[in-house]
Amino acid sequence: MKTVDARGKACPEPVILTRKALTEANKLLVIVDNDTSQMNVRRMAEKSGYRVETEQKADGIYVQITPGASSATAEKSGNGHTIVVLVAGDTLGRGEAELGNVLIRGFLHTLNEVEPLPSTIILINSGVKLAGEGSPVLDDLRALGDKGVEILACGTCLNYYGLKDKLAVGQVSDMYSITEVLLRSDRVISV
Amino acid sequence: MATAKIEYAIVLFDSTQAAIKAERVLARAGFAVKLIPTPRQLSSDCGTALRCAWTDSEAVLAALQAGHVKYNSVHKVVAEQ
Repeated sequence: MKTVDARGKACPEPVILTRKALTEANKLLVIVDNDTSQMNVRRMAEKSGYRVETEQKADGIYVQITPGASSATAEKSGNGHTIVVLVAGDTLGRGEAELGNVLIRGFLHTLNEVEPLPSTIILINSGVKLAGEGSPVLDDLRALGDKGVEILACGTCLNYYGLKDKLAVGQVSDMYSITEVLLRSDRVISV
Repeated sequence: MATAKIEYAIVLFDSTQAAIKAERVLARAGFAVKLIPTPRQLSSDCGTALRCAWTDSEAVLAALQAGHVKYNSVHKVVAEQ
């Protein structure tokens, strides 16, 4: 089996190396050294229709990628279309930031109460603060997650705002995954 | 997941500014409160309301009065969690 050693590589390189290797072989062993890389590689492979198994070993996380049905969670919302909500900041609309923050919190709360559910919520720029420790909407985001909504937080943004270790809900994601989710979705709702 | 019923108090205000001020005052006083869009069944004024545990409602209202935040009305709602 072809092996990709992505230990010591920074995001998004493990994903790029894996994708490149998958054009040459359909069975891969990818070795990474951190959980974020593992999840990003897994998500990319599963979205491309591969089966993924991971094993934590002393010298790294071994990610086995083989052809087969994806084990990814349901990507489609009830009506068969994927809806992605792109949350591009911690405020909604233009105007006073204090009001905008109340509005974005109200929006995320209401997403739990109306139909259809989005398939993915992408948090970008100061939007990542909404998923950070102490955010007043953590319970809303967690409830959405429990209903199968994928929550992706931009890793660069978490880093910038000093929240890398304070993400309380959702997954750290990179620009590759985020861009693919946007391009593959049927509808993107940008707020 | 098992469904449990939770009793909340929903406090309505006459302005969004008052709701924001109420949140600030109550957070400082250590209450677990949440600003939410006013539930449709309570009002159609498109406003922002404050939610807290029903058991906290008396203390919350006292804290609002102490903090000179005027509220409009208080409603009890039961939500399934």
